[in-house]
Amino acid sequence: MDLQHRNNARVMGDGPATLVFSHGFGCDQAMWRYLVDHFTGRCKVVLYDLVGAGQSDLGAYDKEKYNSLAGYAEDLGDLIDEFATGPVILVGHSVSAMIGALVDRQRPGTIAAHVMIGPSPCYIDVDDYVGGFKLEDIHSLLDTLDSNYLGWSSTMAPVIMGVPGQPALGEELTNSFCRTEPEIAKQFARVTFMSDNRKDVAGLTTPTLILQSSDDIIAPVAVGEYLHGVLPNSTLCLVANVGHCPHMSAPCACSEAMDSFLSPWIDPHVD
Amino acid sequence: MSTDEPPLPDPQTLFECAPCGLVVTKEDGTILRANQTFCHWIGFDSQALVGRRFQDLLTMGGRIFHQTHWAPLMQMQGSVAEVKLDLVHHDKHTVTMLLNGVRREHANGAFNELALFGTIDRDKYERELLNARKLAEGLLSEKMAADAALLDAQTQLNRAYEKAKRRASFAEQMVAIVSHDLKNPLTAIKMASEILAQGERTARETKLLGHISQSAERAQRMIADLLDFALARVGRGIGVSPTSQDLHTLVRQSVDELRMAFPEATLLHQSIGTGNANLDADRVQQIIGNLVANSVAYGDLAQPITITSRLEENQAVVSVQNHGPVIPASLIAILFEPMTRGTDTDSDVRSVGLGLFIVREIAMAHGGDVSVSSTPEDGTVFSVYFPSGAVAP
Repeated sequence: MDLQHRNNARVMGDGPATLVFSHGFGCDQAMWRYLVDHFTGRCKVVLYDLVGAGQSDLGAYDKEKYNSLAGYAEDLGDLIDEFATGPVILVGHSVSAMIGALVDRQRPGTIAAHVMIGPSPCYIDVDDYVGGFKLEDIHSLLDTLDSNYLGWSSTMAPVIMGVPGQPALGEELTNSFCRTEPEIAKQFARVTFMSDNRKDVAGLTTPTLILQSSDDIIAPVAVGEYLHGVLPNSTLCLVANVGHCPHMSAPCACSEAMDSFLSPWIDPHVD
Repeated sequence: MSTDEPPLPDPQTLFECAPCGLVVTKEDGTILRANQTFCHWIGFDSQALVGRRFQDLLTMGGRIFHQTHWAPLMQMQGSVAEVKLDLVHHDKHTVTMLLNGVRREHANGAFNELALFGTIDRDKYERELLNARKLAEGLLSEKMAADAALLDAQTQLNRAYEKAKRRASFAEQMVAIVSHDLKNPLTAIKMASEILAQGERTARETKLLGHISQSAERAQRMIADLLDFALARVGRGIGVSPTSQDLHTLVRQSVDELRMAFPEATLLHQSIGTGNANLDADRVQQIIGNLVANSVAYGDLAQPITITSRLEENQAVVSVQNHGPVIPASLIAILFEPMTRGTDTDSDVRSVGLGLFIVREIAMAHGGDVSVSSTPEDGTVFSVYFPSGAVAP
């Protein structure tokens, strides 16, 4: 199995530890561009696309396998075996934070530490637990996905016009981000937002940094606090940010918190 | 530019009354300005919108979509085009719009500049397409499931058919082998007893040799019956090869032979009508033999057994009548089924109870049928009918 091809894996930098970046639902590895350069001088960095997203091999998409997060966890385990050296720190955005937790549960010791960005173990409210969503909200999302994927692209193309401060929009830039095959996007949305990983995270002792946006409808502050409560070796870091992608809209605050948390494995001093 | 052309409206009016919704937000989505067109479409006045976040105007699905899809894209590629969104009107109904958005950096920071277009009819059409696709997908999966079930049933049926065929041919072979193997020793027994009977024998010895000979003949008949039964029940069916026959002559010959076989009975032959019939001569002799043997076994031998051959316009009929005890109605109903016997007490006089079954099978192989009646006045009459197709002109 050619993992490089299957997951469009990219390996950069070198150092005593490996940072594996795993993107979340709706995007691909391009979302790490504001954070990656900060680390490549000090450690090895592995980027990849989940199967079905970005430029992964769509032929490898197996509806059965990826009908639960376990299929993605299996892939992440493969990638760590293949590319990582030294202690492995998993940087997982959103649903990928839970994929990382599953790998940790299945193969204890594989992951030395987690950086969870906007994580949520369960998106839907269950009994006393407040995930932030109701079942009909998720159906409304699936509807929106449906109506956006009809007729036009599986990507949202940029506006074709000159944008000050942006490079000219050439052909390769158009359609190059966050490509998703519509049927796969729908299944992944269902798998992501219907998942309940509270049992998997409860009591996980691996050191974990939770990067929690101060204002995020997908992973509300209460969910970050819940995770902090059930992960005994966790640090909760509240990042002043509106939205679900602090690593994009507040990259400096994120890298600062990561440097301090990762100091046992990675030299915090940037050259 | 000619000076007598009317001046353009001022930029403020152009912005406010543009034929599309125009919204300027901070990077986090906070609305800084929204034009009248947008305010009108969404049912809020401008003051109520400023300070709110654009994403808060979306349906829940739209908000998640905003967070997971177009917000990261605005950041990475600086713009998005033709994103379809459902916004929630002040009256709570949803308004579908298409969005183009650009992230533009100015001297005092970056802003998101959004243009929105109402797309009600187009949305309706697209939803119809979507529903049609869902319907088609549903039907397709139903059809595929039905096809799979059909294939499954077909496979099972084929398997059952193959199994039945194998079983039938095995049974047929087995019966053929067994009867062939039994025939040889029986023939040897008969021949040996005939040779012995040619020498000088005491009365007792002659009687015993007669028993041996008769028993061997009976065993031979039983084997022939079993073979026919196997053919009829599990094999290809009893085969007949009809040819044009003089029915009365055929029956007379049979009766003559049977008189030798059953010297204790009085056999009368009666013929009615004239002409030929299309029949398998050996099989018709077998029918008469079976019916007469039955009459000898169960009838009153003090009275004659009457064998009638009758040619009618539409059919040829062979019937055998005897006088004796009336057959009960309950027995009449199952008389032609295999393994049925008139009484248990006479079990040594006939075979294993296949005679009448074989009679009916032979009749049916000719396209005909059988019947029986049993009354104190007329005795018991078995009739075999061969239909008009079997009667020669």
